[in-house]
Amino acid sequence: MQPDIERELIRKCKAGDSRFYEPLVRAYEPSGLRLAVAMLGNLEDARDALQEAFVKTFESLHRFDLRRPFGPWFFQILRNHCRDMLRSRQARFKLEVLDEKLELRPADAGASPERQRQRSAARELLWRALERIGEEHREVLVLKELQGFRYNEIAKILDIPEGTVASRLFHARRALKEALEEMGASFAQEY
Amino acid sequence: MPQRVSHEDLMRFIDGELSPDEHARVESEVAASTELARELAIFKSLKSGFQDLSFQADTYHHSVWDAVNTNLTRPVGWILMIVGVAAWMAYGVYVFTRSPVDPWEKLAVGAVVIGMILLLASVIWERYRDWLTDPYRDVYR
Repeated sequence: MQPDIERELIRKCKAGDSRFYEPLVRAYEPSGLRLAVAMLGNLEDARDALQEAFVKTFESLHRFDLRRPFGPWFFQILRNHCRDMLRSRQARFKLEVLDEKLELRPADAGASPERQRQRSAARELLWRALERIGEEHREVLVLKELQGFRYNEIAKILDIPEGTVASRLFHARRALKEALEEMGASFAQEY
Repeated sequence: MPQRVSHEDLMRFIDGELSPDEHARVESEVAASTELARELAIFKSLKSGFQDLSFQADTYHHSVWDAVNTNLTRPVGWILMIVGVAAWMAYGVYVFTRSPVDPWEKLAVGAVVIGMILLLASVIWERYRDWLTDPYRDVYR
């Protein structure tokens, strides 16, 4: 969504008209759901979190500075809500085989059955390793690898200095590598 | 020889967050160090693994908009209903107290209405107290 259109929609929402909130919800829903699924591990909790985060965001719009981008602000609210859910034990990170409910990227559609099987096994291994590493490590990896945010955006979402992002990513990647190795994955042939 | 590429630099290198000059510097350091090249290969391999993990959440068809919209518009409905009911009740009480019926009749009707309100309030309070101490209230399913 173009920034000026987004700003105009937010301005109208700030005036209390929730009709103009729909395009924003629909624009940020796919990436929001990806973040919530990756943080909570399953689709049902993720949808609950996403829905509640959108409501919270609307109710907090009066505090939103129109000069700032909406995305990182919304993802910060969503990320905090997912963490609250995990802490209040309304949800716990529980693994769900995503393939049952979510379609794979189109690139997978043309792959041979053997290649698809290998990818599926690798995906499950990585997903299980993500389940093993801590919440702090998981969220920074999700924001970088699944959401594709730049370091400055991640810093805003996590409310940390930009310089800390690289350090957190290093520790998260190392933790993920160790988790994968404990699960039998080998990096020996990779280089 | 001390390593001149920090772990943070390596992360920025992999994620394309370095300036062209810094990128070239890290690249030459990596070319000169087997250890660094090995580390870089592992991190790159981890990164590429995420491409297979990605999924298209937007193909999950049911939007949350309807539920969000319901949550946003419901408070307005409640406020209107409560204000309306309060206004009608106040008007009813006013008309009833001004009516020419026998004071004993007013007293009896008033006692019935107040009694019903007290009973309803006590049931609501009891349910609320139970909910506060319910060990399973956070259990969804």
